[in-house]
Amino acid sequence: MMAPLYEFGRFGDSASLVVAVLLGIAFGWFLEQGGMGNARKLSGQFYFTDLSVLKLMFSAIVTAMLGLFWLSWAGLLDLSRVYVPETFIAPQIVGGLVFGAGFATGGLCPGTSCVAAATGRKDGLALIVGMLAGVFVFGEAFPAIGHFADSTARGAWTLPQAFGLSYGTVVGGVVAVALGAFAGAEWLERRAERPARPMKVVA
Amino acid sequence: MTADARRRPGIERALAAVAVIGGVLAVVAGSPARPTRGSVDVTELARIVEHEEDHVTAVELARWIRDDKPRLRVLDIRADSEFADFHIPGATRVPLAEIARMPLDSAATYVLYSEGGTHAAQGWFLLRARGVKNVFFLRGGLYEWLEQVMNPHVPSTTPQAQRDSIRALTLWFGGKMTVVDSASTVPSAPDRELSAPHKSDARESIRKIRRRAC
Repeated sequence: MMAPLYEFGRFGDSASLVVAVLLGIAFGWFLEQGGMGNARKLSGQFYFTDLSVLKLMFSAIVTAMLGLFWLSWAGLLDLSRVYVPETFIAPQIVGGLVFGAGFATGGLCPGTSCVAAATGRKDGLALIVGMLAGVFVFGEAFPAIGHFADSTARGAWTLPQAFGLSYGTVVGGVVAVALGAFAGAEWLERRAERPARPMKVVA
Repeated sequence: MTADARRRPGIERALAAVAVIGGVLAVVAGSPARPTRGSVDVTELARIVEHEEDHVTAVELARWIRDDKPRLRVLDIRADSEFADFHIPGATRVPLAEIARMPLDSAATYVLYSEGGTHAAQGWFLLRARGVKNVFFLRGGLYEWLEQVMNPHVPSTTPQAQRDSIRALTLWFGGKMTVVDSASTVPSAPDRELSAPHKSDARESIRKIRRRAC
């Protein structure tokens, strides 16, 4: 599962599962600490009032990306062994829209619904049931939609390949986009707060 | 919001600065994919090749495997499907590209083999360049293994003791030795120049061996 310790045989299957459980607990704990188990906070994203999700995602992307880039640059990590999920353009656009509709409606995504359920929130539990039902329906419907799900395959497709740029240039570009997104998100949040204040006074 | 109360602008600015520095330096840092560099002593390699110390014969390799030579690693660099069809017992399949970057055990003895001998010889060079001292290749490739270990044709004039030793080795690997009339066949000396049979010949021999195994 997890390179490099698993791949080089330092970990067996069971040790690898223990590591996965520990990482999962840490992941959930930090999501909850960031307020990501709260559906109200998450759905603020879709009304441009609270862009914590966007900021959290970009922070995670930039942290992981810089870490991978510089570790690999220092010769401590082999980038070619990092798993890159495959790209299927059309099915992933459709899937992303379905996912977004569910996220905006329920206020939680799969990971955060587990976090919400773990803290005893009933909406989190409801979304987990929905998620499992969705997985089941997708599996049952696969014979009919499998052809579409496998269409427009691009394999493991990375930004450096897509744009014909060097890794470093893409890293610099993503950092610039992230900082721009942060600035934009903060501006939107400040704008959303302004009319809210007089309303509080009235209430 | 409580989250806002907890915010520390100083830390946020510092993290943003780290990201900016990391991102800007990344643009000029060059490729993160480090080339695997090796260096070779060309004179030394030429000497090794000239003295034929770069390869093992199939029979030698068979003895190493049978006698459980410590830290012996046999690497098969053929395609996956060919490896699945038949391989030397205990061999690991490693694509040639992987040889350039796989983690190495400097105390191990590596033996490379391919269908003929060419790819294995190229792999030999890669491992030497990466600093492995004990690396050999099977000069005649899998053909040599099939001919000399799995299906040897021993002339009837061969001394009994030598014949027995060949038979024992062949049987250990599940092969079959055939004694032939010495006049009608080329002597099956391990060092003679090996002809390169067609691919289908190797597949055919493999199929025969598999049938026998079943």
